[in-house]
Amino acid sequence: MVLDLDRCIESLFKRQLLAESVIKEICERTKELLMNESNVVHINAPVTVVGDIHGQFYDLLEIFKIGGYCPDTNYLFLGDYVDRGLYSVETMSILTCLKLRYPDRVQLVRGNHESRAVTQTYGFYTECMKKYGSPQVWHYFTDLFDYLTLSVVIDNMIFCVHGGLSPSIHTIDQIKVMDRFKEIPHEGPMADLVWSDPDPGREEFAVSPRGAGYTFGSLVVEKFLHENGMDHILRAHQLCMEGFQVLFDDQLSTVWSAPNYCYRCGNLASILEVGVDGERHFNVFEAAPENERPSAAEVQRAAMFANGIPTGLFSGVGSNGAMTSSPAAGNGNGNGASSFLTTAGMDPTQDAIHYFL
Amino acid sequence: MSLPDSLNHHREGLTTSHHDWTMLQAKKLVEGQKPVQIDANTSIENACEILHMSGISCAPVYDASRKQYVGMFDYGDLMTYVLLALKKMDVPLEDQSMEMRDLIHKSRQHQQVPVKLASDLSGKDPFCAVLAETRLGAIVNDFGSGIHRVAVMNSNGELAGVLSQSSVLDFLMRHLSEFSHLQPVMQKTLPELGLVNSNVLSVNGDAQVLEALMAMSSNNVTSVAVLDDQGVLIGNISMADIQYIMKDLKASWLWLSCFQFVSKVRQSRGVETGEDQYPILDVNATATFGYALAKLQATKVHRLWVVNDNGLVAGVVSLTDVFKILSAHTDS
Repeated sequence: MVLDLDRCIESLFKRQLLAESVIKEICERTKELLMNESNVVHINAPVTVVGDIHGQFYDLLEIFKIGGYCPDTNYLFLGDYVDRGLYSVETMSILTCLKLRYPDRVQLVRGNHESRAVTQTYGFYTECMKKYGSPQVWHYFTDLFDYLTLSVVIDNMIFCVHGGLSPSIHTIDQIKVMDRFKEIPHEGPMADLVWSDPDPGREEFAVSPRGAGYTFGSLVVEKFLHENGMDHILRAHQLCMEGFQVLFDDQLSTVWSAPNYCYRCGNLASILEVGVDGERHFNVFEAAPENERPSAAEVQRAAMFANGIPTGLFSGVGSNGAMTSSPAAGNGNGNGASSFLTTAGMDPTQDAIHYFL
Repeated sequence: MSLPDSLNHHREGLTTSHHDWTMLQAKKLVEGQKPVQIDANTSIENACEILHMSGISCAPVYDASRKQYVGMFDYGDLMTYVLLALKKMDVPLEDQSMEMRDLIHKSRQHQQVPVKLASDLSGKDPFCAVLAETRLGAIVNDFGSGIHRVAVMNSNGELAGVLSQSSVLDFLMRHLSEFSHLQPVMQKTLPELGLVNSNVLSVNGDAQVLEALMAMSSNNVTSVAVLDDQGVLIGNISMADIQYIMKDLKASWLWLSCFQFVSKVRQSRGVETGEDQYPILDVNATATFGYALAKLQATKVHRLWVVNDNGLVAGVVSLTDVFKILSAHTDS
């Protein structure tokens, strides 16, 4: 197949979906490329590091505006490209094309959301079904995810990973010998690298409240940096209201790149610019400006995506005690305010399910 | 910056001279608690909001006009209310209490239902009060027989606090290094303790949520495993998830498939905390008891599914199972 990557990238910047056969081809070729990457990829500054994007395509465009376009700027993406946002397909498509087009200028690390189990629960699978009418594209991308590297080291000084550290991993060499070409397991070092979180209140490892990975503290961070001759750990994975967070006396940073997460958290986002002398600068930004955001209908669908039913879906439904859509219905001692449950046995969700799928 | 763990123990005023945790009095564990309680005339919808905002699954219901506690309201009661209101549950007239009859009448008339009619509605896990001097050993025994929480009362009839299975587990785990008697059982594996028995209520991912709730209710369990067509565990629905149905009136979620519901609950939770959880909360069949407890404590769930290496469900470790085992180990 003749592939015009520049044309693909141009279409994707305009949010036009690529054909299923094209997705198949770019995934195949990118897998071949990634197959030769180590589990620990070594790169040099300058490089701009990006945290979680979660399908927020317009905010990814914002990142290119602020940080510069490929290949003028080197990029390191720390994972979580998909799920939750409305444009996971477009986001993953464009990043895959950019990696294929500029393999030495773009690094893609695997996040905990680059997994079959997680994408079935958190939205990417559903989005693929909606946009392509079949699960094929989801299969192509999730197979591609199995090839993404697990970590990157910048200038032999900054260790970059999606989640964090593992009690089974003391040295970089241990990561290098792992077999990463598979679905992320529930437990073990590979799971830990993409699921763990730092805990500034602790010194050691503890079981994580997320149900996978661990939380790790100050002594763990110090020991890891010392043993591997590095001075900083850079990761993503956790929402930061200010867009970033620095912990453990500047030995660890979290970079978060999805502003106004899920279109409602109201948080800032950032990208981290690492200079040739090791300087680290967080470039903070807000959600993409009004005129380039999703349309009102799409935002409403996003809210529905998170909440289930758009408000107002049931207003005007029949008078015999049908469900009310007003949240005020649950309020204290209102006279005659109907109970939220209908006993009429009707199923008003049919329309909702139609929207949802 | 926080202090190292050893200093924290002293700050909690725990007398470390005595390592027998069974002798600790309930009042010590509820010290400083500001227990949440719900006024008897609050609507069920608002009562659910209170539970949700406080991050708890149960609260005592207080009737100011009678100056007494009339019961507990928890998600099991909410589920029973939902099933009764939707006519998915049939309780013969002679078995209906006055409160239940009143509740059914009000909901048929589409009136607000005050929570006092729904407290202890499920008939399971009713209001269980213990005096503040009651020893932890006795409470753990109760927990092992299926009681999920107790209301700790002062001698003047005031509520000192609520001790739940979760809060007691958390306490024991945080002070584990002081309770040497507990340490041997922590090293035992789940099969050694009889926790791998595959007697687990499960439902297919395509079944409706309402069916899952009905199955939970009639089988008297608080959660159900959601499996795909190959029998692989893909999620879990527990009674506590019903809070997401009440919130913002998402009642229509009752008709979603179990898998869609699991997905929606997970997505809601992850936005609230800014951290997504692993879709399945489980423990491998070869794990130790201690590891299972650490995971129960960290994730704050009430049970973990036991899975084998293929992802097939092989059993369940619930908090009740945990306390049954701890209770048995203190007797020996």
